[in-house]
Amino acid sequence: MEKILVLLHTAADGGLPPAALETLGVAQSLGAAWDLAVLGANAAAAAQSISSGAGKTLAVEGDAFSQSRYSTDAAAAAALIQASGAQIVLAPGTMRFNRALPGVAARLNGAADTHIVAVDPSLNVHRWFYRQRMEGTLTRSTRPWVLLIEPGSNPAATTAAGAPAELLSVPVETRTQVTGFQSPAADQQTIRPGASLLFVAGAGWTKKQKDGATHTGEAGEIILGFVQKTQSSLGSSKSLVDLSGEGQAVLPFLTHLHQVGQTGSTPRHRKGLATCCHGEEPHVVGWRFINERRAINLDPACGWSRGKADVLYVADAFEVMRALAPLL
Amino acid sequence: MPYQIIVCGGLAPDPLQTLEPVSSPAGPALKNEMMLPAVFDPWAGHALYEAAHLAKQHPGSSIKVVSLAPKAKLQQVMMTIAQKLPFELVPLDGPGGGFTDAASIAAVLADAIAAIPGLDKSQVLLFGGWESATRGAGTVMQMVGEKLGITEQFLAVDELTIDADGALVIKERVEGGQHQVSRCTAPPAVLAWATGNLSEPANHPQTGMANMRAMMPALQKAKPASLTSALTFADVSLPAVTRQTRIVKDVPAAEIAREIAEWIKQ
Amino acid sequence: MTPDEAPELKPLDADILCVGFGPATGGFLTTLTRGLGEASIDSRAMPGLPPQVLCYERADDIAFGVSGVVTRARAIRASFPDLNPDEIPMAARVTDEKLVYLLDPHGASRRPALMQFADKLIEACGGLLRAEHQGWALPYCPGFLHKRDGFIFSLGQFNQWVGQQVMMTGLAQIWPSTPVAGPLVENGKVAGVVLAADGSEVRAEFTVVGDGPIGPVGRRIDETFGMPPGHQRDEWAVGMKMVVDLPDSCDLPEGTVFHTIGYPEPEIFGFFYVHPGRVASVGIFVPSWLESPVRTSYRFLQHFVQHPYLWRYLKGGRMRSWGAKSLLESGRRGEPFLTGNGYARIGEGSGSTNVLTGSGVDEAWLTGVQLAEAVLDIYREGLPFTKENLDARYTAKRRASWLDHESRIAEKARNGFQRGVLQGFIGMGLAGLTNGAFSIPRPSEDKHVRTAEDFFVARLSRSEIETARQNAAREGKPLHDALMDLCGWPPIEYDGKILVSHQDALLMGGKVQAPPDFPDHVVFRQAAVCSHCASHLCAEICSAEAIHVSTTDPQGVPAFDREKCIHCGACLWNCPDSNIEFCAAPGGLHSAEN
Repeated sequence: MEKILVLLHTAADGGLPPAALETLGVAQSLGAAWDLAVLGANAAAAAQSISSGAGKTLAVEGDAFSQSRYSTDAAAAAALIQASGAQIVLAPGTMRFNRALPGVAARLNGAADTHIVAVDPSLNVHRWFYRQRMEGTLTRSTRPWVLLIEPGSNPAATTAAGAPAELLSVPVETRTQVTGFQSPAADQQTIRPGASLLFVAGAGWTKKQKDGATHTGEAGEIILGFVQKTQSSLGSSKSLVDLSGEGQAVLPFLTHLHQVGQTGSTPRHRKGLATCCHGEEPHVVGWRFINERRAINLDPACGWSRGKADVLYVADAFEVMRALAPLL
Repeated sequence: MPYQIIVCGGLAPDPLQTLEPVSSPAGPALKNEMMLPAVFDPWAGHALYEAAHLAKQHPGSSIKVVSLAPKAKLQQVMMTIAQKLPFELVPLDGPGGGFTDAASIAAVLADAIAAIPGLDKSQVLLFGGWESATRGAGTVMQMVGEKLGITEQFLAVDELTIDADGALVIKERVEGGQHQVSRCTAPPAVLAWATGNLSEPANHPQTGMANMRAMMPALQKAKPASLTSALTFADVSLPAVTRQTRIVKDVPAAEIAREIAEWIKQ
Repeated sequence: MTPDEAPELKPLDADILCVGFGPATGGFLTTLTRGLGEASIDSRAMPGLPPQVLCYERADDIAFGVSGVVTRARAIRASFPDLNPDEIPMAARVTDEKLVYLLDPHGASRRPALMQFADKLIEACGGLLRAEHQGWALPYCPGFLHKRDGFIFSLGQFNQWVGQQVMMTGLAQIWPSTPVAGPLVENGKVAGVVLAADGSEVRAEFTVVGDGPIGPVGRRIDETFGMPPGHQRDEWAVGMKMVVDLPDSCDLPEGTVFHTIGYPEPEIFGFFYVHPGRVASVGIFVPSWLESPVRTSYRFLQHFVQHPYLWRYLKGGRMRSWGAKSLLESGRRGEPFLTGNGYARIGEGSGSTNVLTGSGVDEAWLTGVQLAEAVLDIYREGLPFTKENLDARYTAKRRASWLDHESRIAEKARNGFQRGVLQGFIGMGLAGLTNGAFSIPRPSEDKHVRTAEDFFVARLSRSEIETARQNAAREGKPLHDALMDLCGWPPIEYDGKILVSHQDALLMGGKVQAPPDFPDHVVFRQAAVCSHCASHLCAEICSAEAIHVSTTDPQGVPAFDREKCIHCGACLWNCPDSNIEFCAAPGGLHSAEN
């Protein structure tokens, strides 16, 4: 089998993100010779900490490369790939590399495939098409070929320190500066990719309830209270996010970032609880990687009942969630 | 300053349709692909609405939509999109499905963009969706940018503002529900948009009619794009998603709550 | 166009405006654009350019029209002499055609005594008659009903095929998702239309009204200019169908057509036909002369597909698409003034449907072709679009064609159904076999929907009905399911594939959508009228469960759920007090396979 380059980046703190070790795990499982290359803050040390078993160990570091930025990341990655000479490049599909590596592949007259969930030793790769509606298995003859491995889809490698990294010097040319990050305050953050539970709120929370009135204020309190108490990650259906976007008196803490489904995200969590959403196909495709699924809905014939959830509770979500709060 | 905003965007099946793969001599395809109603790719749509918003604020700006799709379908979809905002269409006649090779698409798009008369790279903002709703790869925009020599690139953009110095201030989605904020001193730049913050503009028949005067001849003249593929598909299949759903009915809320609490704690 | 040149909101000018894109407008635009392409005709609104031809369609895509069609396609083939069904998805030639009388396997339908006798006879002599699976394929399909030299289409796919060709000429623009609120009438002349989205006016010298029988432009024109003496629109039906992926076990060849009578109620006609690729269209027509207050077509459709004669082919199949529409069944008697100053009527809304042959699409197409030929003549002769000029060229052409000849034969063919179902069949036979010379006279008073107590008098007790009514009111549900259950109709065992809940049919089949920025398009005009209404036929007939009797409104005004409405318009003609306004709005079905 062709030699592989495992191309990784460090996080802002200089450590390797979990997705990096998962990618290394995929490379190791293929049984081929592999080089290791790391870019970013503290890259050389990070590379050495896992370089046992690698052929070449390469790194690019320095202030310019500690920021996640296309121009510098692309220059560093291209230099590392060329220095390794490997034609198959395995890299984690983080936002940083999803941004940089497809362009690097084009620069090197190669190709890139993203969101890869598995790689066979024959270099057949598995990925999803049409918003997680169908799975394809493909391979390609173009080289170099960059394969971006979807985070969370493979087990992490067992690693050991090895040879020190050879540092490459890469010229810096950029017109972009990363000026910072914006995120809700820690107590208001409701998107938690690492949480074991995804809680999804649907448009039903804002509709008229049994008494003929809406109870949006209480709905907001119930939802936020639950998410904070369980430290779960909050998701939403498109219809509810759209309502929030139109400035109606709905659930102000929901943004497009919360949207799960065909035009939103496809998060990975062990469990998912859907409330007040109908479970239509365009929404449920966002649940592709939620292992255990339960739903609360007033309609016994809703989409969840048709094999999309493990358990459907036909009940009033307000009542259930009110009763649930003191039990947590 | 005025911007030359180029929006790359293809078509996707109307998201409500039931999709099924079939094999064809040319590789996998979508069953009844030509029958299915199509929409402008949703993320490219967000990019287009953001382009309109930016162009409005910067007089003299232009918007060109470069789109590769079967031209009869493209014409049909443009009858809706063209009503939303003023733009010019650069149509390329070719397959619009998700199983075509992204690298090949990028090459065709880059060639078409490079051939746009009067292109001034110092004013170019290359927009598109961060992924398509068909291939979902998120690679085309970066490759087009590379082929055009644009090395300031941003992925999953939710906001673009222009600061007092004319620099682009860009918010990109990163992991953990956060945004990374960057400042790029000047165009050219590639911005592959996530959802942005704008809602879909309402239809304006006047805008549509005015757009169509140029679009119809462009569509009639659209040349077939020659795509090559280095991809080999071993298989495309629908996942087995059906679960044995247990339906819990006529049970008091308190009991359901107890069961859910236990499940969460497991 | 650059963003700086964004036009202001001012009246648009065009030469020809079409409202609604269905088969009639398809025929019109096909013929017109060909003519414009051949002749050098100048725009009168924008000199120097070819005539500016615009078409506004309410639905979100030109392929979202509802209808499976089996048609002789005489007019369509005249437009496309080399028509090859392989070019149009879901199209096929008719290869086998049967008229099938269906028995009632549950004994739950309301059959006249003579029909019950016929049922027994067929059951007794089944072998001799070659009856099978509770159905008897009649040995003879009357000539006026047959379509054996014709085609099977999906109207959505046919419209899409036609629309793409028209637009590729560059001579006409078809704008989907653009509902028209009404005509712009000035000094007794139609001067254009008003768009529903923003109230903007679009002015044109000539407006082609092809928005069907429930379209707001046609209805406003009728209100403004009245109907010809003796003409009225008082016979309707809901056509509801599903498109099904047939199971592997089904061996019917493409092109197979069954027309059915007798089940689920004697008044309800059905159809089943097989498209290429193991796909079938199956559906029913629920007519206005059905006196039953139980009127929700969906439950009837579920029983229809499970009839043993059809179920042997459909069992194990999967619903791909579903939809419903209102059909104007008044035929020639529902024909409005075909022309006026600045406008002309084409298609179903112009009374072109032949109620004897059960054919509408081809007739609609022909009206469009005839109007386009007239318009080209008017352009060539440099004349204005006056009623006089249009009558001389369009109305005269229509009157001289097979369309008018056949619609006269059909004019009284269905009168008998206002007396009873058997009289109806006899009347159809009489008119069909004597070329309209004989028919059953229409009674002085038409049938009307009866109260549940009256209709089910011998079958259900008043207390049973009252209990069902109270339960339904408490749950905000229509009464029909409870009444059908009480009458012995078996419950529907959902299989999640072809037998699914009504709401799932909307989601899985119809893929129903409503854009967020439009107001409710179904409006109950006067609350006081609703508060005195006992029948709530609007909710009973609603094809999408979008109207339900409100449990909270103090005046009893039904609640309307815009997100479910499929724009079939059945509420409009079912309201006994004409208290419903059905406005133009986009959205509705999003399936292109109907």
